[in-house]
Amino acid sequence: MSNTRAVVLDNEPVQAILDTRHRKHRRALAIIEAVAARSQRRAGPARLLVPTTVRVEAGWNRRTPAAAVINRLRAEDIPLDTDLADRAAALRSTLGLSVADAHLGAVLASTAGPHTIVTSDVADVQRIVDHLATSTALLPF
Amino acid sequence: MDDRIERLLDLLDQDTTETVGTSVRLPVHLRDAAAIAAELGLASSTTDLTAHGLRAALEAVAQRAVLDAHYLAHPDAQPDLAEIATATAQIDGHPLADRPELIRRAAAGIRAVRANPTPDDVLLYAAGLAEGAA
Repeated sequence: MSNTRAVVLDNEPVQAILDTRHRKHRRALAIIEAVAARSQRRAGPARLLVPTTVRVEAGWNRRTPAAAVINRLRAEDIPLDTDLADRAAALRSTLGLSVADAHLGAVLASTAGPHTIVTSDVADVQRIVDHLATSTALLPF
Repeated sequence: MDDRIERLLDLLDQDTTETVGTSVRLPVHLRDAAAIAAELGLASSTTDLTAHGLRAALEAVAQRAVLDAHYLAHPDAQPDLAEIATATAQIDGHPLADRPELIRRAAAGIRAVRANPTPDDVLLYAAGLAEGAA
């Protein structure tokens, strides 16, 4: 079993949390609950991370009323700063990724793992994981 | 949501280095364990450990309150124990992660023997069911 230290949300899980009418809203909250439950166990807490470009893609604007709930779920923004931009640019050029996927890859390479990525884009994300050879699990969404 | 929860969340989000001296009574064994961890370089100080633990506990409480308030407004959005246990198994790479029906049976069965089971309790019970069936 993995000892996940960080759960990274991709585009659709973010959209599903944002929208109570999304067909996977409840599924997304089950994942949030599972992450929350970790803080009560000896396995230790897991961080909930969202690359900021994924936020852009998913339409998560923290200043809008629709984001009131997701804003409060203690998900951390991982911004595309200078270092991550360099890493993302390298990934984009090597693997031909979208900006958001490249940013996600840069997050994997620059934050403490092991990571679990919640994504509905398993094929592309698996390519990133294989390329980085990091200790990362995929949770198909 | 309760205004005090909002205030709690706002305080947790503040990015400040301002500190305050406060008197906290710690269990002696925890104080001594923290001192050893600091000596070994495993932790920076008892103060940092205390602040870190306090933040983690408060964030967990706040997140629980946010979710509960959301479920009050949207009861259909609340995942059941089986769904949470399945998500837990998937995040942890648990061997039963791809057996949601077994986990659902375990979530139903465990309530007969344990009050307020956690997702981990359900997974343990599910492993017992799988073992029994083998």
